[in-house]
Amino acid sequence: MKKNIYLLAIVGLFTIVLSACGGATETSTEVDFSDWDAVVAAADGQTVNWFMWGGADNINAWVNGSIADTLKSEYNVTLNMVPINDTAEAVNKVLGEKEAGQDDNGSVDMVWINGENFRTMRQGDLLFGNWSATLPNYAFVDANDPSVLNDFGYPVDGYESPYGKAQFVMIYDTADVEAAPATITDLVEWIKANPGKFTYPAVPDFTGSAFIRHVCYDATGGYEQFLGEFDQALFDEKFGACWDLLNEIEPFLWREGEYPESDARMKELLANGEVHFDMDYNPGSAGNLIEDGVYPETVRTFVFETGTLANTHFVGIPYNSPNKAAAMVLANVLLSPEAQLEKADPAVWGDLPVLNPALLSEADAAAFDALPRHPATLSTAELAAARLPELQAPWVEAIEQGWIENVLEK
Amino acid sequence: MLFGGGLLLALAQSFGYLPIIGKTDFSLVAWQSIFQQTEFWQSLGLTLWIGFASTVLSTVLAIVCALLLRRQFRGKKAVTFLFQLNIPIPHIVGAIGILLLFSQSGLLARLANLAGMINDPAQFPALVNDRYAIGIIAEYIWKETCFIGTIVLATLQSVGEDYENAAASLGATRWQRFRYVTLPLIMPSVLTASILVFAFAFGAFEIPFLLGRRFPSALSVLAWRSYTDTNLALRPEAMAMSLFIALVSTGMILLYMTLSRKLVRQ
Amino acid sequence: MKRLTKYAGVALIVLGVLAPFIPILIWSFARRWYFPAVLPTEWSIRGWAYAFSSASRLPQALWQSLLISGVTSLLSILIGLPAGRALGLHKFRGKTLVEFLMLAPTIVPAFAVAMGIHVVFIRLGLADTMIGVILVHLVPTLPYVTLVLAGMFANYDVNYEAQARSLGATPLQTIWYVLLPSIYPGLIVAGMFAFIISWSQYILTLLIGGGRVLTLPLLLFSFASSGDNNVTAALSIIFIAPAIVLLIISARYLTGRNVSLARGN
Repeated sequence: MKKNIYLLAIVGLFTIVLSACGGATETSTEVDFSDWDAVVAAADGQTVNWFMWGGADNINAWVNGSIADTLKSEYNVTLNMVPINDTAEAVNKVLGEKEAGQDDNGSVDMVWINGENFRTMRQGDLLFGNWSATLPNYAFVDANDPSVLNDFGYPVDGYESPYGKAQFVMIYDTADVEAAPATITDLVEWIKANPGKFTYPAVPDFTGSAFIRHVCYDATGGYEQFLGEFDQALFDEKFGACWDLLNEIEPFLWREGEYPESDARMKELLANGEVHFDMDYNPGSAGNLIEDGVYPETVRTFVFETGTLANTHFVGIPYNSPNKAAAMVLANVLLSPEAQLEKADPAVWGDLPVLNPALLSEADAAAFDALPRHPATLSTAELAAARLPELQAPWVEAIEQGWIENVLEK
Repeated sequence: MLFGGGLLLALAQSFGYLPIIGKTDFSLVAWQSIFQQTEFWQSLGLTLWIGFASTVLSTVLAIVCALLLRRQFRGKKAVTFLFQLNIPIPHIVGAIGILLLFSQSGLLARLANLAGMINDPAQFPALVNDRYAIGIIAEYIWKETCFIGTIVLATLQSVGEDYENAAASLGATRWQRFRYVTLPLIMPSVLTASILVFAFAFGAFEIPFLLGRRFPSALSVLAWRSYTDTNLALRPEAMAMSLFIALVSTGMILLYMTLSRKLVRQ
Repeated sequence: MKRLTKYAGVALIVLGVLAPFIPILIWSFARRWYFPAVLPTEWSIRGWAYAFSSASRLPQALWQSLLISGVTSLLSILIGLPAGRALGLHKFRGKTLVEFLMLAPTIVPAFAVAMGIHVVFIRLGLADTMIGVILVHLVPTLPYVTLVLAGMFANYDVNYEAQARSLGATPLQTIWYVLLPSIYPGLIVAGMFAFIISWSQYILTLLIGGGRVLTLPLLLFSFASSGDNNVTAALSIIFIAPAIVLLIISARYLTGRNVSLARGN
């Protein structure tokens, strides 16, 4: 008797939870994903679980506000943004699901992705394919732009849809640094003359990894030689010089040679004057941080004379997503001139747009031109003149691993 | 059931064996591999240091606090309540507080600057994300001192002061009273509590993740990184590492049960 | 002099306990707070405004956290009650072994278990669901509840139940009028701490919930590692509020033995 009561109570509780979770995702029936009207029809009522880095309140606010509202009101699609610390977490999740045999009811519907993670997902057959050109708003993207056709040297082939562009900039506080170093050599000199006032984040931090690549390009005599497939012999031959240079400056770094574990920590260090430089893949982030009261007003950005790395970030759909149609609708909304314009506004986010102004209506193109620019942000022309291509992901991985073995652990 | 089953599954997977997903090879590769990595041994050393340092320091502090709080003073009730306050506070929040307090531009560094002791953040000692895991240990001390202290205080209250008064009337000094009367009385609960603290500090993830350095990192963080690596081949290693932590912790329980039984008999 | 040392000691304890909360509280209202300013040069409620805006997803996280912790603690009690009764009242062969097995999960890190179980949960469709998360939260809460209740039952006289039954009470009446009144302090403490253990879980929720089940610690963690101190501080304060409320409610039932097993993670 007593046992029955217990059982009843336990089962009852589970039922309550079940109903509270509610709205179990429907498995998508056969949809012709090349027919946009069919995609929009199938998306009606679906929820899209978008796994994205969630550490910036302005980006979260825009995604959960404007984008979620548009999806709901125009397409009856619910957006569920899943904040993660690192895109690799989402990749790992899909991998784990594939290993466990969960092939058609996966938990990730869309992932904000590029570079190594894209390559990992493509090589593991983890991405739903060839859908990005189906999006009506893809018409505004320059179909011949190499940075949209390749992601860190890996052909995109319609397996992900462009979302925004990024270019590496150096950040410094003009109150503490007289003139921005024009080259890596100048920077190295400054570091040696000002011990403890410079550092860069440890890999696998994205930004730290990019800084290391800039130094290596300089120390090995230019990036052009590494643009092809990964070449172990060439890597071994050339990169010793880079590790030497990085080890040479190490004693002059923050805390006599320590590396913060994230880009976010770097920002705090600069804000508090512990170091006088920072770096970011978003050229507008310094301006935003000044507006938010995180950085002092005296902070400015610069690029090296030899240029800085630029790349594109994308959104991809895992092969086992049960809500592919809704994810495609989301990708299309993200590509719309309205969303790209909002996103480019420094007051919202300040991310570089992926649309080609020549393909836009005159009014839209004018709106992009009229966007305000923070004094700390470089002009589009200054940035464009300094743009360097990214290397293929195996190079990036080798450089990161090489840094860990030859610099961090030495 | 859930617990034992989960551990068994982890064990099977650490050998690369899991038939339901078609893995039927049985191998020791993952175990061999972790024992060959210098990073694993460095992490183990760091983790042991964190565990022992946090346990010993918070135990000593807890006894001091309990002896103090047991005496009569104004506001005793409020202070005792406050002392219990951070037992239910999640460790994550403690870690955030320590970070904001101890970092080189944290509140303490600012106070040091106000006092004229430093004029630049770099002059303040590195206390978080540091080589010696001071931030991590500080967080554990902050939280576990209250935990052990509360238990000791309860024990002290339940045994009363009769024995100590008797010892005093026989002419024992304060130190003798503490060493030969009070300490043996509270020892069983101190041991229980401190072993729980050690096992926790040895295996916890959140604090070293937030307050630790990237290299070497605590074992649990290393295991988590291997588990979430985009290379699935590292998962058996992650399982092996977390089982290793479990093994050390189990050793702790056995020690605890033997010790507590011995002490109860005395 | 002695008095002075005593009060200085007490003051140190109070300061030590409160110290980490001070910067959290200030940061939640700060703007432009650079080294070496001891107090912010400007104040702002940006952190709080963001926390309570729809963009932060706080309401959803708060609701899911409450639901998960509530159901976890109820389930722990429902399952832990008969188990604790058996352990507390009866002597049986292998009792030490059972005790050992019950104690193990309070010490062995639960993520070792969760990693092992994960792949099976994915297979069963339990990964990324609240039910899966609740099940895995039971791993650390259940043994604790069972042990506390076993302690209560050790001092409980079953004969009262027999008397009640012989006086014509139904089983339900017996539970309601005899059993519950004598063990309710234990029930309250066990329930409260099961709630807090579940409330504080980060790694188990992240692993089994996979980010899809969003609880407060997940939200807090993503901000703590992004370095946005204003939002992190505001969320921290919201996060500890229930713990403090529960402590106030349960404070008078707390005893050393209970505490020895209760630990927020």
